[in-house]
Amino acid sequence: MHIREAIRIAFESLWAHKLRSFLTLLGIIISICTLVAVVSLVNGVNFYVATKIGRLGLNTFSLSRFSLHEYTDRQAYMAAVKRNPILHMADYEYLKTHAKLPVETAATIFSGFNATGTVKANGQSMDQVSLRGVTPSDISMSTFEVAQGRFLDHFDEEHRTMVAFIGPDLVTHLFPDVNPLGRHLIAGGHRFRIIGVATRQGNVFGNSLDQFILIPISTFRKLNGNQDSIGISFKVANSSLITPAIDEVRLLMRARHHLNYYAKDDFGIIGSSAVMDLWHRLTGSIAAVMVGVSAVFLVVGGIVIMNIMLAAVTERTREVGIRKALGARRRDMLWQFLIESAVLSSMGGLIGIGVAWLFTTVAGHLTPIPFQLPLSAVIVALVISTAVGLFFGIYPAAKAAKLEPIVALRAET
Amino acid sequence: MATPAATPHEFVIRTEDLWKVYAMGAEQVSALRGVNLNIRRNEYVAIMGPSGSGKSTLMNLIGCLDTPTRGQYWLNGQSVGELSDDELAYIRNKEIGFVFQTFNLLPRATAQHNVELPLIYAGVPSAERTERALEALRKVDLVDRRQHKPNELSGGQRQRVAIARALVNHPSLILADEPTGNLDSTTSKEIMGVFDRLWEQGNVIVLVTHEHDIAEYAHRVIHIRDGQIAEDRVTARAAVRT
Repeated sequence: MHIREAIRIAFESLWAHKLRSFLTLLGIIISICTLVAVVSLVNGVNFYVATKIGRLGLNTFSLSRFSLHEYTDRQAYMAAVKRNPILHMADYEYLKTHAKLPVETAATIFSGFNATGTVKANGQSMDQVSLRGVTPSDISMSTFEVAQGRFLDHFDEEHRTMVAFIGPDLVTHLFPDVNPLGRHLIAGGHRFRIIGVATRQGNVFGNSLDQFILIPISTFRKLNGNQDSIGISFKVANSSLITPAIDEVRLLMRARHHLNYYAKDDFGIIGSSAVMDLWHRLTGSIAAVMVGVSAVFLVVGGIVIMNIMLAAVTERTREVGIRKALGARRRDMLWQFLIESAVLSSMGGLIGIGVAWLFTTVAGHLTPIPFQLPLSAVIVALVISTAVGLFFGIYPAAKAAKLEPIVALRAET
Repeated sequence: MATPAATPHEFVIRTEDLWKVYAMGAEQVSALRGVNLNIRRNEYVAIMGPSGSGKSTLMNLIGCLDTPTRGQYWLNGQSVGELSDDELAYIRNKEIGFVFQTFNLLPRATAQHNVELPLIYAGVPSAERTERALEALRKVDLVDRRQHKPNELSGGQRQRVAIARALVNHPSLILADEPTGNLDSTTSKEIMGVFDRLWEQGNVIVLVTHEHDIAEYAHRVIHIRDGQIAEDRVTARAAVRT
């Protein structure tokens, strides 16, 4: 087969009718662009959810006063507030001792005084800083590491020291030119000595993940009282142990709360897989709608290509006649027009990918939406657009292949 | 079915009782009515006849662009009457070099690429194609115009490119259909000079024309009338040459 000749002819005629080719390809360009942009959006969001919001890594899960369902459904939440007991440090100690499968257990308190408040230091002030009390084991559950100084330790925990481990944003804002270690900051009316700084994690949807203060959970409860529920995180050695470890914790908690066999859980266990499931359901339905829309565009684009290829065959009947007179067989003509159609539509695919790339790059810089264009989407988009060209090129190409040489040679133009 | 009397290889073209019947609505029109034609190696033949005589039909059959309704046709000893489309394409590619009245060059391709076309369909590799295309262009003195497109060439030059294209695959027969029909008389002479040279180099040339002075370049003139051979004579030039 004379693939190279066919590709050369395809580019030649594409170039000879630049505007016509471009207009022909609009349908394919729009549909591939939509497809690629949506895939980048969904992919980017999922990636961020997986790495950042799902701050619990893949091998972790957490126990909290309310389940994910109770957090997201207002009525269930109202009922759960009355029913679910507050989780105390005693629960943490109990689970830490009795749950055998998790390799690490940590307690966190998310809410309470100054949960997101103003911090003052070094003559500067900063808003929207989250303050959490954590056990020293929290570092092993986190996605950050210690960049400078040290993390909270058991001494801090036991003695309820007034120390703070801070996110890198606080250093940028409050201590732009000085080493923050050993300096003090004031949060919620209390003064803490800075003992360490975390590595940078970046943004999710425009919210910084580096704007936090961690203090010993014992200090937190001394300052704030014991009325707020804590969260307890667990880490297992590998992902296959997640389900048995969740079962173990659930069993221990039900026993501890004296729930009978038929009673519902009065606490919530949230694995990172549950968070991801929720996200995938959400983004999956968006993706399904957009993929449907772009499929319609694709069919329309394909029909436009078929139309223009039919016109091209008629226009070049004489050429087909000449080529046949010189020895081109039916399949030579079939391939020539099939390849031309495929080249045409894959050019549309390429342009669509280019436009989508441009759009996602610009939008990624101007908005907090985390686009991410995966290579697989580029390849799939190219394959799809080429396949559309091949499919809708079959009829025009077959028409060209079947032309009788004497009839074709006699054609005008 | 009769076998040819002479050994088939003696003839480049041998036809036996060749018929072509077209259906024009309910009517049957016979364009050819039993043509018997033998053309030997190194002949230079002109086929003449008024329009509607059937000479174009005969040319299409000889050129393997069409198949006869009835009768036999051997090209180089090979029966081509009942071949499939693709087999005919193969024969056209290997055995026949076409020269048309309207040149029939591809407008967007260079002279060299036009000449290479038959080689592309013959599956000749690129480097050899270039070499053979240049060799063919040299025979018609157009090597220096090889990168020109047809619209950058004069009528005579275009026809010479077409002749180079006809030669490039070393066919056993060059079939020229009114090759001077679109050219002025000076250019016509020049083109006929090219055919003379090709004949001298051993090519078989079949010329279809309705112009008497053009036909006189050939050594044998066959007149077609009403789908039959009306006259088959040797020209004055044949006597001079042989």
